[in-house]
Amino acid sequence: MPSFDTLNTAWMVWDDPAPAPEEAVLEQSRELDRLLAEIERRAFRMAQVALRDPDDALDVVQDAMLKLARNYAKKPSAEWRPLFYRILENGILDLQRRRSVRKRFMAWLPGPKEDPEGEALDPLDSVADSAPAAPERMMQDQAMQKLEASLRELPARQREAFMLRNFEGLDVAETASAMGCSQGSVKTHYSRAVHTLRERLGEVW
Amino acid sequence: MATLEERSRALFDESVDNLDMAMRSRLTQARHAALDAAGRSGRRRGMLRMPLWTPAVGVTAAAVLGVALWFGGHGHHGVAADSQSSFEDLDIVASSEEGSGDAMEMLQDDIDFYGWADKAAGSEPAA
Repeated sequence: MPSFDTLNTAWMVWDDPAPAPEEAVLEQSRELDRLLAEIERRAFRMAQVALRDPDDALDVVQDAMLKLARNYAKKPSAEWRPLFYRILENGILDLQRRRSVRKRFMAWLPGPKEDPEGEALDPLDSVADSAPAAPERMMQDQAMQKLEASLRELPARQREAFMLRNFEGLDVAETASAMGCSQGSVKTHYSRAVHTLRERLGEVW
Repeated sequence: MATLEERSRALFDESVDNLDMAMRSRLTQARHAALDAAGRSGRRRGMLRMPLWTPAVGVTAAAVLGVALWFGGHGHHGVAADSQSSFEDLDIVASSEEGSGDAMEMLQDDIDFYGWADKAAGSEPAA
C-alpha cells in the first residue's frame, strides 16, 4: 500500500503546477539572453572551424539558440551551456552528414565539382586580398588556418572534445554532458586529439 | 614556451575578437530572433495548455448532469401523469351519467317516485 508521502508526491506530480509569474519568465529570458550573448561568437567560430562556411555556421548557431530557448529554458541555468553545445554539435554533425550525401549525389552529375570539404569552389577565393596586413597578423592568420585545417581532419569526437575543453573551457563533467558520453571517453578523445595535433602542428609551431 | 593547448586557445580567442562587425550584428539578430520565436511558441503553448484535472471535472459534471436529467425527467413525468390523471378525472366527472343533466332528471324522477311510495305506504292498510 503506498505511503502517505508517496500519495502526496503523486498528487503533486499529477496536479498541474501554477504558471510561472510573468516577472520570473522575463528574468529567465534575460538570463538566457545574457548567456547566449556571452557564448555566441565563440560558438560561431567553433561551428565555422568545423563547417568552414560562415552562413552554415550562423544557421547552426541560430538553430541551437532556438532549440535551447524553446525546449530547455526551464532547465536549471547551470545546464544551459553543456546543453547548448550538445545541440550545436548535433547540428554540425547533421549538416556534415547532409553534405556528405549531397557530395556523393553530385559526383554522379555532370558540371562543376566540389572541393574535398564538400563546398562549391568560389573563384573569388583565389583572388589575393588587396589590403596589406601586418606581418604579425598574417602569421597569426596562417597559424589559425593551419590549426583549423588540422582540427577539421580530426575525427568528430576528438575535435569536439578538444574544442569544448580547450577553447570553451568546459570541465570534464560538462564536456561529457555536452558530448553525451562518459568522462573517461572525454579524456580519451581529448588526449588523442592533442597527440594528433602535436604531430601535425609541431613542425610549424 | 607556450604549449599546444595554450597557443591554440590564444589563436582561437583572437579569431573570436577579430570577428567583423557585420557578423557580430548577424549573431545578435539571430539571438533575438531565436528568443522571440521561443517566447511566441511558449505563449502559444500556454494558451493551449489545459490543467491535468480538467478531464476529471468534465466527467464529473457530465455525470451530475446525467443524474439530474434522469431524475428530473422522471419527476416531470410524474407531474404530467398527475396532471393528466386530474384532467381525466375531471373529464370523467363531467361526462359521467351521475354528473350529467340526464342524471339530474333521473334524480328528479326518483324524488317523485319516493313521494308516491311514501303516500302509498301511508294509505295501505296494515297487514
